[in-house]
Amino acid sequence: MKRGTTRITRRGFLKGSAAAAAFTIVPRHVLGGPGTPAPSDTFGAALIGCGGRGGGTFSDLSGRHKLNIKQLALCDVKFLDKADNKKYYTDFRRVVERKDIDIVAIATPPHWHALISIAAMECGKDVVCEKPMTRFVAEGRAVAEAEKRYKRIFQVGTYGREGAASGGNKVTRKIMISGVMKNSDASYVRRGGFKIKEWAGRVDLKPEAPPKNLDWDFYCGPSPLKPYVRPRTGGTHRWYWDYEGGGLADMGQHHLMGPAYIFGLDKTHPVEVEACAPPAHPEVSGMWAWSKLKYANGFTLVLESGEWGEPSGMQSKGVRMEDLSEADRKKVEEVPDLEPEIGFGEAVKTRQPASGNAEVSHHIVCLMHLTNVAIRLGRPFKFDPVTERAVGDEEANRLIDQPMRAPWHL
Amino acid sequence: MASAEEIKALVDQVPPLDSKDTKDPMLKTRPSDGKLTGPVWEEAVQILDPILTGGKGAIAAVMDLLKPVDDGADYKARYVLHAMAQYVNRKGKEEEQSMVVDALLSALKGRDKPIQGFLIRQLQVCADGRASATLGTFLLDKELGEDAANALLAIRQGAVEQFRSALPKAKGKAKLTIIQNLGVLKDARSAGALLEAVTDSDEAVRMAAAWGLANLCEASAVDALLRAADAKAPWERAQMTKACLLLAEKLQAAGKADEARKIYAHLRDTRKDASESYVREAAAKALSG
Repeated sequence: MKRGTTRITRRGFLKGSAAAAAFTIVPRHVLGGPGTPAPSDTFGAALIGCGGRGGGTFSDLSGRHKLNIKQLALCDVKFLDKADNKKYYTDFRRVVERKDIDIVAIATPPHWHALISIAAMECGKDVVCEKPMTRFVAEGRAVAEAEKRYKRIFQVGTYGREGAASGGNKVTRKIMISGVMKNSDASYVRRGGFKIKEWAGRVDLKPEAPPKNLDWDFYCGPSPLKPYVRPRTGGTHRWYWDYEGGGLADMGQHHLMGPAYIFGLDKTHPVEVEACAPPAHPEVSGMWAWSKLKYANGFTLVLESGEWGEPSGMQSKGVRMEDLSEADRKKVEEVPDLEPEIGFGEAVKTRQPASGNAEVSHHIVCLMHLTNVAIRLGRPFKFDPVTERAVGDEEANRLIDQPMRAPWHL
Repeated sequence: MASAEEIKALVDQVPPLDSKDTKDPMLKTRPSDGKLTGPVWEEAVQILDPILTGGKGAIAAVMDLLKPVDDGADYKARYVLHAMAQYVNRKGKEEEQSMVVDALLSALKGRDKPIQGFLIRQLQVCADGRASATLGTFLLDKELGEDAANALLAIRQGAVEQFRSALPKAKGKAKLTIIQNLGVLKDARSAGALLEAVTDSDEAVRMAAAWGLANLCEASAVDALLRAADAKAPWERAQMTKACLLLAEKLQAAGKADEARKIYAHLRDTRKDASESYVREAAAKALSG
């Protein structure tokens, strides 16, 4: 783009204006819009992780998020046979270091989500990352810190939050975040939809040689290098603790984005976690019946699989203004208007946080991580919402902040 | 002590793998081939308690059922050992935990490497610092070094000493793993080794060392990290810049504002290209804050 002697690239403009535009809508005549398309409104983008949801995640950039996208790179560890480091890559580091890429869409298995998100933001990119946002608790904190340090836009690839931000839900949210709830017996029970059996793993598979086009060591990445069996890749990666954590980890973020908004569960973490499940297998996720996640204000979130064991015996119990004292109602009414929930496309242009930003999404995906910790421990544990560590329980902390293989670390 | 046959009979109580014909009242969905719907904990304890009562010999008898290739043939033994590692982490099971850790450590000797790897990963679940010295002996092993490092990182107690003492002989991937983990564990006594590694010939070692120095808030590393952050290669430059920002944040929090300001000022003044303006802005904001 060249207009007279002033040459402002879209990338330079956005980065240079990030601080100033924190609370400003960038004028459409600058970025282009209907009737006034501007070259500066086109975003260079890359897809990292090209199987499964990858195509959909990338096409969402121009569809759902209404951004003008130019696809510049595709990266996947199974591209050993065609990587040219121009369009096709196997190493995401060579992608995120490119100056002409503004946005990175990530659809790898989840053990890569945090590391690639962080790397992309360290290189100045905005990020859309498929759900689940992370594989364990400490990863989410690191992603949120990178988002804050570099002031990048991050959006997890599930959008129930935007739809939840309406009408009575906003009132419930205000009650929950107002601080008036103490020793509450309110609860929300989510039953089913976790695909538990579907993403429980087989344990009778014979190791084989990895396909020639797959960089197996790179695929394993931060997770332990294990013998290859085909289901460790493709959609069945969900079976394995090394990469995800079953149907719960995979589907939970979808189902809880909305309820977490309504009940303010994106602002804090539970303080007690308990699950009913058989002893966990060392490699693959299995069946479970329910988990109960209790908050400091007494609210309880219950997840029920409906696929194994008995129900929790809990029922949802709502939160209503009319149940509050007059003094508490007044406090709720004093809660400032809630920030609008904006989509990734708008967030990229305005430099305001996206609805599914890292801080929010971290709190939501932790509900699944903490449940999986309780399942893998085979006992309840207490959690400190501030330090994001188990209280007096080092074995739990081994799952909350898991070791990584070098060179990968948070 | 229970005989090997009796132990095997206990392990065999683990349910068979699911098949289309599986009838389990706890299972509310159609079963799938090859998946394991385990017993409820109350039933699992009926398997685990007699083994634990049998002592180290009984636990060793379970480990004798392990096969080098994890193809499902020994899934019951693997499941029992892992459940045992979880079970002995419960309050009141300290004596059993100690016994299981001892048994796992003893069993590491002379086994096939894939079995050793599995046992190390169970130590990662349940061991305390008593396992660290033994795990340290595997750090330079090409096949088991990463599993041992992961277990040491999980255990923490006594881990730093193992990484430190293995470093002088470490090469290649082992050296990278050790340098990185000295940083993860914030070992101030390794600051000198990490400073030296910031100029290593291996790019990955350089980046791990720089991040480690930042993570342990090493004020004497400011100049070395700033030099490193002016690297030309874009990925290394971004990673070294990250190390600088992390160090500055930690120095600021530790009350070493002058050192932190030096880092921020350098980044503000050197990141002039539009593609690095986000770094310049982060540094400028910190300086104005």
